[in-house]
Amino acid sequence: MKCTYRRRYGLPSLLASVLFLGSALAHAADFQLPALNSPASAERHAGKMVWADLITPDLAAAEKFYGGLFGWTFQSIRAGDVNYAVAMLDGRPIGGIVEKAIPAGQHQQSAWLTFLATSNVDDTKKLAVSHGAKVLDDIKSYPMRGRQCVLSDPEGAVFALLASSSGDTPDYLPAAGDWIWTSLHAKDAGTEAAFYQNLLGYDVFDLPSDDGLEHLILSTDNYARASANDLERGSARRHSHWLNFVRVNNAAETAAKVLAMGGRVLVEPRVDRHGGMLAVFADPAGAPFGVMEWSESDTKAEPQ
Amino acid sequence: MKTLRSRLMAGGFAAMAAALLCACAVTGVGVEGSVGYAGGYYEPYGYDYGGWGAGYRVGPGRCCDHRDDHPVDRGHAGHAPAYRAAPAGRSAPSIPSRSRSH
Repeated sequence: MKCTYRRRYGLPSLLASVLFLGSALAHAADFQLPALNSPASAERHAGKMVWADLITPDLAAAEKFYGGLFGWTFQSIRAGDVNYAVAMLDGRPIGGIVEKAIPAGQHQQSAWLTFLATSNVDDTKKLAVSHGAKVLDDIKSYPMRGRQCVLSDPEGAVFALLASSSGDTPDYLPAAGDWIWTSLHAKDAGTEAAFYQNLLGYDVFDLPSDDGLEHLILSTDNYARASANDLERGSARRHSHWLNFVRVNNAAETAAKVLAMGGRVLVEPRVDRHGGMLAVFADPAGAPFGVMEWSESDTKAEPQ
Repeated sequence: MKTLRSRLMAGGFAAMAAALLCACAVTGVGVEGSVGYAGGYYEPYGYDYGGWGAGYRVGPGRCCDHRDDHPVDRGHAGHAPAYRAAPAGRSAPSIPSRSRSH
């Protein structure tokens, strides 16, 4: 009798257990994202942009575009229904590309997602939510990467928080092809700066401007980490967003390459605050990104 | 016997439910916008990202940029800024200058 019951009810239990173990293992094997730093660093730089993910409907086209433009190479990660590539510069991981199809008949804007460093993603997320942020993707852990979540700020700009398990990227002048800057564009830069200051402890500096708009520098550890800028007025077709910049040697040459490879110029190369050129482009899928020239002599002395 | 049957059935159902939940987590089911990985978000379509005016400067300065003498929230003229401004005596810092190879 006992044997019959075991056969009748034990088999489903056994099958379910195998299914469960299989799923758990698949989940564990899901997304072996590389560590930010190898070997691990003890450095922590709250508020620093330490990673960026591009979402695009065509991963191969994005690899071709960014590889050709910045010399990035790619390592493919495929897990479940997710197709992902890690962008590498000189053997170091600097960002990722997520492929996700856009359903037929829908319009969505391909975009880069900015990851800001925090030492404790749980506490920072709670703080963000208490100050009006929304959780778009709750905290997830990735074995080598750390813990991260995706939020939208009170104006709706999407950003991610990352508590890296291998420390934050050390404070070096980024090489050509690496991320050098990130800027927030918001309807009310001052209020948005206050939001991020509450989260990440930025020092906020208001710089003089010629356009009557607010342009703020956000710093931690006595280094400029980002800027917060009022959106240009006069168009309803603007929304709050983060914009990331890659260091290049020649913005005009980069603009010509972008056009030749199917991208668009959104802001023509122009001189920015540091005296070097800056430009904003859209990749072939429409994702906006910036480039910035920065000669070694542009930063003459370490800030005190 | 009844107890044994109940225990085995309950165990089976619990394990099946756990397996289903886990499978959903792998594929991102039930999380709007998620692709099973917490990164990558499509933005709303049809917005302008360019069209910056001539004085629209967003980058960092070189070391020790001068501060605005009257840091007020320009969107709400006359009001104190919502953020806590860095002490007036401090200049805005720049980005790191140390090169990786040094």
